[in-house]
Amino acid sequence: MNENMQEVMLDLLCKKAEYGLSEHEEQQLSVLQSSAGTGDLSTSFELATATLAMADLDTSEEMPEHLRSRIVADAEKYFKANPTVPEPTTRGSIFGWLGWAVAAAACVALALNLYLTRPPTNVVNRPGTPTPTPEQKLTPSQMRQALILSAPDLARATLGAGEINALKPTGDIVWSDSKQAGYVRLSGLPRNDPSKETYQLWIVAENQDPKTPVDGGTFDISSDGEIIIPIDAKVKVQNPQVFAITIEKPGGVVVSKNKHAAVGKRET
Amino acid sequence: MLRNVNDAEDVVQEIFVDIWKNAERFDPSQSSETTFVAMIARRRIIDRIRYSARRISPDSIEDVLAEPASRGDQTLQTSIEANEAAKVLNELRPEQRQVLQLSIVHGLSHQEISDATGMPLGTVKTHARRGILQARELLGLGTIETTKEVSV
Repeated sequence: MNENMQEVMLDLLCKKAEYGLSEHEEQQLSVLQSSAGTGDLSTSFELATATLAMADLDTSEEMPEHLRSRIVADAEKYFKANPTVPEPTTRGSIFGWLGWAVAAAACVALALNLYLTRPPTNVVNRPGTPTPTPEQKLTPSQMRQALILSAPDLARATLGAGEINALKPTGDIVWSDSKQAGYVRLSGLPRNDPSKETYQLWIVAENQDPKTPVDGGTFDISSDGEIIIPIDAKVKVQNPQVFAITIEKPGGVVVSKNKHAAVGKRET
Repeated sequence: MLRNVNDAEDVVQEIFVDIWKNAERFDPSQSSETTFVAMIARRRIIDRIRYSARRISPDSIEDVLAEPASRGDQTLQTSIEANEAAKVLNELRPEQRQVLQLSIVHGLSHQEISDATGMPLGTVKTHARRGILQARELLGLGTIETTKEVSV
């Protein structure tokens, strides 16, 4: 094999590991590997990229119950049809299967996170798809979407800069009086050191003196980009008009005297 | 990549079937179960993407670039494999690391990476290739020299 063919083979191996190959390219790679007498090198390249893909893997998300049920049903069907399928490990103990269980969990995390954590964060539902219920352990993004789809009395506000000139936040807030639930979608505020300070949401509502707005809960920002935070109102909120975010001491305060880092008036 | 919950769940189902079909090909001397499963998962996801020819929208590239280079210092890294991956990425040159994170983790094409970073396309390809070869070597999956030797 000349150097040029060798370069083409390496290019194809890398491309396969990064993006996959077309049928024609697969044939080309197969011919080149046969010619070089290397055997199939692609698995080692794919394992390398698979390892790197796990560097940013969030495995905290649990598999939705309905999906687990579908996979269990698939498994029953598959292993009934393929009773001679060998065990996936030769260790012969429950610990062998444990590795596969962990691996499968990582697989779910990989697939779900690849899709669901990518921008944009909105979730697309097919027409007629039932609104997901909170029992399915949805992400904040999905729960926000579910609230938007299901709340008949949705209040919306656009968040913008407050009184702290250096901060240029953007985002929005959705809130439902009937469900007493809402979400802040926010970007542009800096990460905070939770040991020194925290962000706190305030809601000026009809049922509360504007001088002592409702505490909407505290939250920390630990990454750049958009975040979605469930509102944790400490008392009932009726007809909210203004939302504001301040920077407070860890744990938050009962009444804030600080400037607004972000603020938004109700639009609908 | 695909952004639909229903598609994501469908592909998870397909991945599990692929795992059962390919279980006997697992070689513990080459990788852990998790990495093997991740490879199967990537294959299926890549197939899906190639089939549907869907790409992430160009306007989301800025968002991807704005993400931190690595979330390695956060609680997301819960597995040995994630730590190993972070270690390998840290061994690579910064340009190689950036290109591979954009291509492997975020699914950008080489052209999109070139457009987004300002690196010439050829440079992106070179960084990707050298980075993968080095990662493969660091993971004990083969050496550049071995690849060259056996391919002569």
